[in-house]
Amino acid sequence: MATTLTPKTTASVGKVILSARNLHKIFKTPEGNDLLVLDNIHLDLAESEIVALLGRSGSGKSTLLRCLIGLISPSSGEVRYRNRPVTGPMPGMAMVFQSFALFPWLTVLENVELGLETQGVPEGERRRRALEAIDLIGLDGFESAYPKELSGGMRQRVGFARALVTNPDVLLMDEPFSALDVLTAENLRTELLDLWEERRIPTKAILMVTHNIEEAVLMADRVLILSSNPGRIISNQRIDLPRPRDRNDPAFIAVVETIYRAMTTPEAAFVGAAAAEIDHTSLGMRLPEAEVAQIIGLIERVEAGPDRGRDDLPALAAEMQLDADDLFVITDAAELLGFAQTCEGDITLLPEGVKLARSDIQERKVLFAEHLMNRVPLAAHIRRVLAARPDHRAPRERFLTELEDFMGAEEAARTLDTAIDWGRYAELFEYDAREGRLRLPENGG
Amino acid sequence: MRTTFPDAGVLRPRLKLTPWDAVVVPLIIVIILLLTIAFQGASQPFDVATTPDLTVSLDPINLPYYGLRTVFRMFLAVLLSLLFTFTVATLAAKSRRAEMVIIPALDFLQSLPILGFLTVTTAIFLGVFRGSLLGLEAASIFAIFTSQVWNMAFSFYHSLITIPRELREAAAVLRLSPWKKFWKLEVPFAMPGLIWNTMMSVSGGWFFVVASEVIAVVGRDNDQYLPGVGSYIALAIEQADIAAMVYAGLTLLIIILIYDQLIFRPIVAWSEKFKFEQSEAQEVAQSWMLRLLQRSGFASSLNAVGAAVRRSIPTLPVREASGSRVEAQSDPRPMDRAIDRVWYGMVIAVTLWAVWFLATYMFGPGLGFENGRVLAANPNVNTDLDPEIARQFAAFGVTANPDQTVWLSDVCAATAGGTQVSAELAALVRNERVGAPDDLAAACAVPMAPAGKVAWSEVLECLWLGLLTTMRVVIWIGISTLVWTPIGVWIGLRPRVAQFVQPLAQFAAAFPANLLFPVAVVLIATYALPQNLFQAPLMILGAQWYILFNVIAGTVSIPNELKEAAQVLGLRGWAWWRKLIIPAIFPAFVTGGITASGGSWNASIVSEVVSWGATTLTLSGLGAYIAYWSTGEFNPHVGLGMLVMGLLVLAFNRLFWRRLYMLAETRFRLD
Repeated sequence: MATTLTPKTTASVGKVILSARNLHKIFKTPEGNDLLVLDNIHLDLAESEIVALLGRSGSGKSTLLRCLIGLISPSSGEVRYRNRPVTGPMPGMAMVFQSFALFPWLTVLENVELGLETQGVPEGERRRRALEAIDLIGLDGFESAYPKELSGGMRQRVGFARALVTNPDVLLMDEPFSALDVLTAENLRTELLDLWEERRIPTKAILMVTHNIEEAVLMADRVLILSSNPGRIISNQRIDLPRPRDRNDPAFIAVVETIYRAMTTPEAAFVGAAAAEIDHTSLGMRLPEAEVAQIIGLIERVEAGPDRGRDDLPALAAEMQLDADDLFVITDAAELLGFAQTCEGDITLLPEGVKLARSDIQERKVLFAEHLMNRVPLAAHIRRVLAARPDHRAPRERFLTELEDFMGAEEAARTLDTAIDWGRYAELFEYDAREGRLRLPENGG
Repeated sequence: MRTTFPDAGVLRPRLKLTPWDAVVVPLIIVIILLLTIAFQGASQPFDVATTPDLTVSLDPINLPYYGLRTVFRMFLAVLLSLLFTFTVATLAAKSRRAEMVIIPALDFLQSLPILGFLTVTTAIFLGVFRGSLLGLEAASIFAIFTSQVWNMAFSFYHSLITIPRELREAAAVLRLSPWKKFWKLEVPFAMPGLIWNTMMSVSGGWFFVVASEVIAVVGRDNDQYLPGVGSYIALAIEQADIAAMVYAGLTLLIIILIYDQLIFRPIVAWSEKFKFEQSEAQEVAQSWMLRLLQRSGFASSLNAVGAAVRRSIPTLPVREASGSRVEAQSDPRPMDRAIDRVWYGMVIAVTLWAVWFLATYMFGPGLGFENGRVLAANPNVNTDLDPEIARQFAAFGVTANPDQTVWLSDVCAATAGGTQVSAELAALVRNERVGAPDDLAAACAVPMAPAGKVAWSEVLECLWLGLLTTMRVVIWIGISTLVWTPIGVWIGLRPRVAQFVQPLAQFAAAFPANLLFPVAVVLIATYALPQNLFQAPLMILGAQWYILFNVIAGTVSIPNELKEAAQVLGLRGWAWWRKLIIPAIFPAFVTGGITASGGSWNASIVSEVVSWGATTLTLSGLGAYIAYWSTGEFNPHVGLGMLVMGLLVLAFNRLFWRRLYMLAETRFRLD
């Protein structure tokens, strides 16, 4: 457990180790259009700091991390590590993956040694250092186990050991705790922080991608917030809380609140614009991947909450045991459909939202359908196309191709599936997954 | 960096012999000895002109040696297949441009009848290994190789392109060199699929081993019998020797059992650790042989030496700042696009050239037309390919070819268009074993295809024969589905029975069904049974087991809760089949069906012409056509037959099986 003897107040900012300048990343949509994912990113990672990179899902945080370590090349701009341009993965930088990325056919020891093999470390020393790293990360006794014999938490320990054994200068982590259960994640976070605080690892700087706001505040000296569509850094916030940090400390709660506010600004929101400013005529609008039941559940909860129609997002997230990221998907959807508004880290129901919460199942469907038709151009478009066809049917592919003009293939599929899900609930159209066809309901809807 | 080999520490401390070594050490020595004997036998001199015809003896005392030779061929074929898989499939997975060519090519090659390859390659290999038996051995091995390799290559390719992104990224961040990445990431990831496919291929391979050891050689009157169980069987069939057939069957039984226990079980058990799954499997494959090897001190010392060798291969100096990138979506550069265009151009040009070449090869100049008219067929009048008749024709100045064919056009040429026929020649032409037209002069007057080439009318005939064979495949796959599905489900619902039957069915699939063909011949000939009803099912004899054990596997994997739910809902009778069983076993069945139909297409070449002693039964079909024209040398007729069969199989797979497969993937997946 966290037993730091000399709590530091402020991380002293040292020399810049890793930096990005004018970084852009453009992906091609299947239709050949350009899709700007990262827009003019400037970023510095200095010695002895932990930086957390926050953003909604789809904001390009993972892409940014992979540009920084050299796994993918930026479309323009430059990444420099200790003043050398990064053109591919380099010694000195290590990475921890969300799903651990262990080689299942190698034992724990072999997995850890693998990082050293490519650095030309002689066998004897390799073994010694690997055992040290295994010991350091609390895996002793498991050297000869295969990853599949281990629990998720233990597997991620192997992931950490494999990264730390190379004595990396910079450690990059891609949502390292998000695949673990709450307790295990907490445990591993604390141990990593202890190692860092006690300087038992030579790592000079850590950059972590996360979508958990509390985790960011718990660990980081600095939080960067990435906007969505395209990804820009819209906020750079220092966190000067002493360590170990306490979740119940009012100062801690205040910082979390600030970050929630920063993340509910229009730029940070999923669709990249405030609900009021969304171009409600463009098919290219992405839809947050929220289920109808979640949207309605949230609205009901807020309506019935202590403040009757208004609630604090951090508190909601804690209560519903949701990561901020997952909560935002739902609030975005509610906002997009015109049932609620988020601002300053709060969610407020609009009159229509209150009405939705108070209606019965049938009324609810009618109201939802009305909002869907008015506010989600894709849904209206699908209705129009189906109505125009003599047999009232159209293949899913047809709409997918249209969407791919505006976004990547996966994004397009997600958006279309969300629209289909919402439209099915609203009884605007039906979908036959076997044939991959949409059609108008028999009774004409 | 380490440079000594092997480094001193490796050998000494680990060489601890255990009691298990009393078994393992002699076993290894025996295997090495056997390989040496087999190789000596295979590399004896063989001259096309002078060496006496190769033959085998039916004395069962020879069977162990013949078995050894057969196993040796099988072993080399597997090795070659692995080599091909590791290189070609890897290339396809790594290079987009290579992929574009390799994948369709493999897809087509896999549809071609395997025994056709024997004809294609014999002459080539005899030329390569001039004066050595290795030429014939190579032809036989190559035929077995073609029965295994496509499947394995596809499996490997598919694994390589489905390696999870994060693992590839981890390899890049760890800066593994391409070589290291191949062995540490790609091969292990592909291992379970590759091993399973290899095992299936080898099972199927026994069938072709038996069929590919008797080889027709151009310039020889008789077929050459390579020492092996397959040749032994062929000779036993020719001489209608029942006892010899039983001995051969027993030998194969033992060989397959040894192969399974000593090689495949241990490998499958060992490969468990490569399975890419998050949780530990409930049932883990076991092998006594693997346990034996793992406990043997000698074997682990060998292993240690191997590891030392691998380590002492100097690794490339570590490059300072360059790992490879892993691109999700590459933005093609203008340069790339230009190269792409050149590449596409080349591929199209080569394809067009190949089509043109094939067409001229098959149809001769004019592509089967002359002055805008379709040329008539130019038949081979020596229909039995009898060397004696060919010699008689030669005596009259008619060109007889090394493969004993005598073309009508040559008869016409020697007789001035059928007008000047001597009495002796007329007698020969009228011989009932000669397929010459009654009115020679009239037949000669029609312009016909050049000697040995194909006419368009034969293409139509070939398509018709193909249709016949297709119908047989469809009907018998259907019938065996109807028969084996209920039985398989019955077994699958009883785990204890399944545990016992599953390996038996696998074993039955490996056992070459051609051994049983003579039984059918005797029955049909003795009781004058209708051939279409009793000979046609021979083609499914070996392939039906795939349907059975896939149905069993599918049934076993139905979740218990689903079965209980069906029970609670009161599903019974036909509804139980339609709502529960058929959808649940569908994916497994489709996989089995694809294998079974591929197997029966291939088997058609052997099963449409079957014989026992002097009796030969022929069913008209594409398989019989190809078998007939497999004269020891690749010729336009074999080419036509293979092409038609390849295209039919391809079409059948695309139009039928692939659709079922998609349906299985999208709708009936149980997860």
